[in-house]
Amino acid sequence: MGVGGMAATAPRIPATRLALHHFDMSYSLQLKDLWPSVRLGLLCEQKYGALLNNFSPVDHVTQELELLNATDFVSEAPRKAQRWQRGATAEEAGRGESRAQEGSGEGRTVMRAETMTQAEMSPPLRASISSNIKCYTFPRGDITRFRPARPDSLGLLDYYLMDAASLLPVLALDVQPDDFVLDLCAAPGGKTLALLQTGVCGHLAANDVSLSRTKRLYHILHSYVPKEIRETVSVTSYDGRDWGQLGGGTFHKVLVDVPCTTDRHSVMEEDNNIFHKRRTKERQMLPMLQLQLLMAGILATKPGGEVVYSTCSLSPLQNEHVIERAVEIAETEFNISIHVEDLSHFRTLFQDTFSFFSDCRLGELVLPHLTANFGPMYFCKLRRMRGTVKAMPLSSHG
Amino acid sequence: MAGRLLSGCGRAAAVPRALPAAPGLCPRRGCGEAAALRAMGFSEEQARRLLGLQPRLGPQRREAAAAQLLLLGLSAEAALGLLERSPRLLRMPTEQLQERAGELRRLGLDGGQLQRAVSRCPQLFTLPRRRMAAAVRLLRERCLFTAEQLREVLGTCPAVLLEEPRLLHHHFQYAYFRMGVQQKEMVKARLFRMPFAELRNRHIFLERRGLYQTPHKGQTQTSNPKLKDILQLPEKDFLASLAHSTPEEYEVFKKLLAREEKEEEGEEEDRDVLYAEEDEDVDSKGSKRAQE
Repeated sequence: MGVGGMAATAPRIPATRLALHHFDMSYSLQLKDLWPSVRLGLLCEQKYGALLNNFSPVDHVTQELELLNATDFVSEAPRKAQRWQRGATAEEAGRGESRAQEGSGEGRTVMRAETMTQAEMSPPLRASISSNIKCYTFPRGDITRFRPARPDSLGLLDYYLMDAASLLPVLALDVQPDDFVLDLCAAPGGKTLALLQTGVCGHLAANDVSLSRTKRLYHILHSYVPKEIRETVSVTSYDGRDWGQLGGGTFHKVLVDVPCTTDRHSVMEEDNNIFHKRRTKERQMLPMLQLQLLMAGILATKPGGEVVYSTCSLSPLQNEHVIERAVEIAETEFNISIHVEDLSHFRTLFQDTFSFFSDCRLGELVLPHLTANFGPMYFCKLRRMRGTVKAMPLSSHG
Repeated sequence: MAGRLLSGCGRAAAVPRALPAAPGLCPRRGCGEAAALRAMGFSEEQARRLLGLQPRLGPQRREAAAAQLLLLGLSAEAALGLLERSPRLLRMPTEQLQERAGELRRLGLDGGQLQRAVSRCPQLFTLPRRRMAAAVRLLRERCLFTAEQLREVLGTCPAVLLEEPRLLHHHFQYAYFRMGVQQKEMVKARLFRMPFAELRNRHIFLERRGLYQTPHKGQTQTSNPKLKDILQLPEKDFLASLAHSTPEEYEVFKKLLAREEKEEEGEEEDRDVLYAEEDEDVDSKGSKRAQE
């Protein structure tokens, strides 16, 4: 009769149920009124974005996607921001002020310049314009699915379907031409692929401790990236925590996309679920592991270089707390001064595509919501200051 | 329709409120019929409308059907309206109409309730006997509604008898097992008034938001919202005060859930094909029988 699970009691509680219960306890306190919508988002089908493969001819694909009403949110955002700014500027001009210090409404939150030149743009705005990353998503409330990726005449796939929120840490990293980039926990490889799509990585080191997951990384590289570019990538299987010892201070940009409780996966999939009883210890040790990985990432960064830390969990224990501890340890044990970068512009810039949490102490958090069912995705950008702790004051998110 | 009637009788056209003739029949006969109907309590206008239904039907049938409905306590207008919506009733033998009315009364539908029930659901008369018996049997023997509860259900949701028993059972089981609601509350909340799909939408919306939990075995107290509120609040109020959500969110949810359902059905069909060889009488509750 097709109504499953009625009157039958399962022999043991499924891991997904344990996860959901755990989240109900902790996240309702943290997110309060927002939790029911986030919970609903986690329990419904997630939304995908199509990361275009710049190594494959993209024109017919962009045409196809645009016909379906999908848009590239990465390039769309700055265009909207310009429109808002022009709108705000026009208002100010109308009021007879030539240069207003206080803009009105959204114009103020984006930037203060009247005219928009590259130099005057906020870093994230500049970053997204110059990143070459293109990712198509359907509009808010549109639940259309993308067709599976197709190979071109050279056998490279046309796009990679992923949670669009996963691109935000990569955009935040803001890779500059010829940067040495380290992706410390690279597998299965979505973010690694996105880094390569910028087209500007001088050299990319993609590391993951898990051999089986690294296999998927290889598969992605072979499916999307031509040989000559693959040769600029070195794939390794070290324990990421050891990286600091392997070669400190060598990278301009480091991405630390740590293992976490993968909240969405944990409430939906029984397989490979970290909430299984037998993995309790592993789960409880996660924040420690995450901290160690972030420390390694910081140590691997050149002075003046930048680290982006990211998780796909809503938990502050895996997010802000790890950042705070890392900043503290960097200072006290390594004499390294860390500045937490302000990413609030991302919230404004991408507000039409994602649902952001406005109350993060540090970093930014994308919340699942049915109208924009991406995430969870937490990301935070750290800059390793030049000089020593004594020379630079410890700054915090401002 | 009146025009057609009038044009068949030249004399009638000259006198606007003259008695109409059924086309092809002698006006005098028409007058006789109309008189009989008026004697039963129909106005001239009503009689005219009545005569216009199934014009080739013999007058006795027409009068008998009308009489049965009036006997049930329906007003002339209500009876007429019913017959206009369901001209099939006119073709039913009087005994059948009487019998069915009696059956419905025995189920506990009294005068006012019965009137309302048949007015709302004229198919209650035309429903095959077996189907109706199966629905009643299901509600009493499998859903375990008491006679009193059944009476109330029939009074408030007479269309329940028209439901395919298998679907009716599914609807009940969903409320009973999945939502943990007892018969008493189902009756009070008028469970069967809301289409099953809409109930499911609202329930799962609440459940996934963390606002509704299937009670554990033996758990009597829950903090779940009352079934009555879930069913009877208009959508806007349901969203605002029960679900604490927005129409936008709910619209997307309904689309997603519909897609989930469709894909699950597809999987189940595949499974059914796989297990088609097995014993057909798998369901111990005998749902196969209920399909009679």
